[in-house]
This record gives sequence, structure tokens and C-alpha cells, in this order.
Amino acid sequence: MSLVLEPVRARSLPPSVWPLAALAGLALTGPFLAPQDPNAQDLMRVMEAPSIAHLLGTDHVGRDILSRVLAGAPHSLGLAVLCVALASSVGVALGLIAANSGALVRALIMRLADLMLAFPGLLLALLFAGFLGGGIWPMLIGLKLALWPQYARMAEAVATSVLREGHVEAARLAGFPELTILKRHVLPSVLRAVMPLATLGVGQAIMSISALGFLGLGLKPPTPEWGAMINELLPFLAEGFVQMAAPCLMIFVSVLTLTLAGQALASNSTGRAQ
Amino acid sequence: MNTVLRVIMLRIGQALATAAVLASLCFVFVHALPGDLALRVAAARVGDERVTPETADRIRREEGLDRPLIVQYGQWMGNLAQGDLGRSLLSGKPVKQELAYHASFTLQLGLIGWLLSYLIALPLGIMAGFRPGGVVDRITDALAVTLASLPSFLVGIGLITLFALTLRWLPPAGFRTGAHMVLPAFTLALSLVAFSIPVIRNAVVEVRSAFFMTYARVKGLTPAAAFRHHGVRNAAIPVVTYAALQFAFVIDGFVVIETLFNYPGLGELLVKALIARDVPVIMGAGLVIGFAFAVVSLLADLTRLWLDPRGLEEARA
Repeated sequence: MSLVLEPVRARSLPPSVWPLAALAGLALTGPFLAPQDPNAQDLMRVMEAPSIAHLLGTDHVGRDILSRVLAGAPHSLGLAVLCVALASSVGVALGLIAANSGALVRALIMRLADLMLAFPGLLLALLFAGFLGGGIWPMLIGLKLALWPQYARMAEAVATSVLREGHVEAARLAGFPELTILKRHVLPSVLRAVMPLATLGVGQAIMSISALGFLGLGLKPPTPEWGAMINELLPFLAEGFVQMAAPCLMIFVSVLTLTLAGQALASNSTGRAQ
Repeated sequence: MNTVLRVIMLRIGQALATAAVLASLCFVFVHALPGDLALRVAAARVGDERVTPETADRIRREEGLDRPLIVQYGQWMGNLAQGDLGRSLLSGKPVKQELAYHASFTLQLGLIGWLLSYLIALPLGIMAGFRPGGVVDRITDALAVTLASLPSFLVGIGLITLFALTLRWLPPAGFRTGAHMVLPAFTLALSLVAFSIPVIRNAVVEVRSAFFMTYARVKGLTPAAAFRHHGVRNAAIPVVTYAALQFAFVIDGFVVIETLFNYPGLGELLVKALIARDVPVIMGAGLVIGFAFAVVSLLADLTRLWLDPRGLEEARA
């Protein structure tokens, strides 16, 4: 854990990173904050306008929108984080292996990454989700396959340049084992470079997951995922503007927060103010 | 000439590799799905209630589903190599015919949306690049970040709410008339603009600070003339590279936007086929999209070589 946090010491963080904490809090506590059962239907009160009983109104089968939006946070946000965590760890591991091995293994890994990058990413996730019938796993596998190459390329590039530096040579001459050098000298630089990419990546993943939900190829109903909610509410757009706006705004605010944080982290780590 | 040939070969190779991977993936999925494949094909052909074990057996023999997997795989790839994509399980029509019909709609939407996006992004990006940190730059930057944080279906829903439901200027969905094109094309354009504005802006900033531009000014050209004669072509290089990369992002845009607006393009065809597990159509749509991606990349490579012949020189040296 300290290894992951070390390169991002709190005092060096730009201020636009802090709203991420609010997002994380929402993803962790959302379902417990929901005032009502997110899946409880009430067919006597469908598409109701906001009231004291239902602060954001009800949907087409009388479920409380506020509860569903809150309960959906771990699905929409948590899954995106999980997805990027999986993809970036696989990517970084493969990138480090490539940087540390001979020409053949390196070429094999990096050409595979190039090939995957050339393949339209969401198409892959769509195929997996479509064939395996939706649900969490097909989506995670599909998105992971689409996302790992960018982390592998970044990790390989950074690791290769760090391995040529003087302090690594010194550590090697001092007799430290290769793995220690990797952990102490290479990994921190790699993680510092990967962090902004991963932050932006979570935003992209939220968009992909909600897009799959919107297409009806993501999480199965009645799971309160934001994209799936939008899909369900679309036929009632004319009657329920507030109901539709709720999940839409959640997606927009989450992605915007992550984009701003990712951009700030990127300009922070390269020291290039644009 | 060598470089041009190599670029073409590389992209053809990429297209073939994509096709092979996609076709193999589809084959694996088809055979890995639970249940008897022959029974499923029979159910799709004659209807769920009328399937008998005999029809399933007949289809098994006709389609060669009783042969070893490796032989079937060879046949699958062989048919594909001859351009035979089979028939839709859903409609029974040849997949090629379905693809041709839907591709024309996607092509229309894509071209109009893409042109529209550059009509918006080029002036804004160039103005922003001419005065980095200025008012236009800050406004377009905020616009680009906002649009980049909006999935295309949110942009589309916003436009439908405003122009179709509230103002009632345009139809919310469909494809019969030109008015039906406006909202989907603008939705696509706005999703593209989010990423092309910063690319154009940075390209312009970069070129304007180059030594040859200072020289052109010293020579006595006005800033506008210097940019017209020396800047545009150089600034275009990263923009063209990006326009091709953008196509990959456009693909999920197509799928989502066409579904949202009920527009009969390839993306909508793909989603319907995925939901119905209509494998021949899924594979066909995937192949067309993969090939289109390779063709766009090839065009971008060639345009880049034409804009920047240094690529040719380097290869020769």
C-alpha cells in the first residue's frame, strides 16, 4: 500500500484531486444512504414528480429515483475503478516484464499491445457482453482486454528509460537484487506516470459501463446502474425530466471530476503547465 | 514509393489480422455457448415451437456441425476468405445484403457528423491557438472538458429534450427525412469536437512558435499570411493523425447514437444482433467496422506522408 501511495504524497497533490474523495465516499456508502429500497415497486405511484416522499420522483414502476441513484453508485463508480485497477495492474506488470527481458519477449508483448490498441476497444467489450449475455464479468473482461495496452506501453517506456539511469546502475553495482531495484527505483516512477492515465481511465470506464447499460448489454435489470436507469427511463423522457436528469447528472459530474483530476495530475507529474 | 507501399501493406496486414482475430473469436463463442448449436440454429430457422430432434439432425448434417471442430474452423475461415458471410439467423436474409443496407446509413451519418465537427472545431481551435490563455482559449477549453465528460447518449438526450420535446423544432427519432439527420449528426459532431478542439489548438500553438514562422514574419509577411502559407500544412499533420485515431472513438459513438435515435445504421444492427445472438450478423458487422478502421488509418497514413514528405526521406536514408 505504501508503495502505491508513496509517489502521490498528499502535499504534492493539486487541489482538483480532492473531490475524488467525495466520489469514493459515494461509491462506498451510497447504498446505505438510500432512504428507501431501490427495487421496491409501487404501481400506484408511477412517474410521479418530485415530492417530500420521493425527493427526485419515481420511475415507470414507482421506484424511488433518489434511492436508485444512490444505490447505483457502487455499480457505476466501483466497477469502473475495479476495471481500471485490473487493466492497469496487468498492463504495468506486462510492461515491466517487457522492459526487463530480451528482445524476443519484449517484441512479443509490445506487438500484442499494438495489435490490441488497433482494435476498436468498445467493440471488444460489446462482443463479450453480447455473447456472454451481459452481467459483470463479460463487461469487466471485455473492458480489461481493451484497456491494458495503454498501461503496458506507458510502463514499458518509463521503465526502459529509468533502467538506463545512473542510480539504477549504482544500485546494481552495490549488489542489490534485480527485484529490489525494480521495486525501489523503477516502480515508483512507473506508478507516477500511470496514475494520471488511470484517473482519466476511470472516467472513460464509467462512460463505457454506462454506455453498455444504456444499450441494454451491461448489468442486468433491476440492478440500479446509472446507464441502465437511463435506458429504462428513455421512453418516459417527456413525462419525467427530473427523473432522467438524476442519473445523467451523476454520470456527468463523476466523469468531469475524474477528467479534471486526471489532467491536474498529468500536468503535475510532467511539470508542464498549459 | 517504397514507404507508401510499406504503409499500404502494413494496413492491409492489420485489416487481415483484425478479421482473423474477430472471426476466430466468433467461432469460439458460437461453440462455447451452452446448449446444442444445431438445435439453436433450427429454432432460429423454423421457430421455437416447431423444432424436432429430426430437424436438428438434418441441420447438423447440412451445416456439417457433426464434423470435428478443427474441420469446422477451417470451413468457417474458408467461407470467410471467399467473402461468404452466411445468412442472418433472425431475418434469413444474406448478411451481405443487410450490411450494405445499414452501412449506407452509417456512412451518411458519419460523414455529415464528421464534417460538422470540423466546421465547429477548426475555427474555435485555430482562434484558441492564436491566443493561448486568451478568452477564446479559456472558453473552448471549458467547452472541450465539459463535452469530453459527457457520454454521447447524454448529449443526445439533452438535444432531444431541448429541440424535439421542448421547442418541437425537430423529430426526436427516425430516418425518413433530412430533418431526422440533424440531431444524430449534431450529437456525433459534439462528441468529436470535445477531442479535436485541443488537438487543433495545440498544433496551432506549436507551429506558431516554430523558427520558420518567426522567419516568415521577419521576411515581412503578416501573421495571417505567414500562417496561411507556412503554418496550415505543418499544423495539419497532428490533426490528420488524430482524425484517424478519432475513428476508434466514433465507433462506440455510432453504436450508442444510432440506438438512441432509432437510426438504422451498422451500430444499431450490431446491437440488435448482439441482443438476439445473431452470430453471422455480429461477425459481419464487426468485420465491416474493423475494415473501415483499417481503411481510415491507411488514408490518414497516406495523407500524412503527402503533407510531410520527410517521412519518405527518412525511409530512403
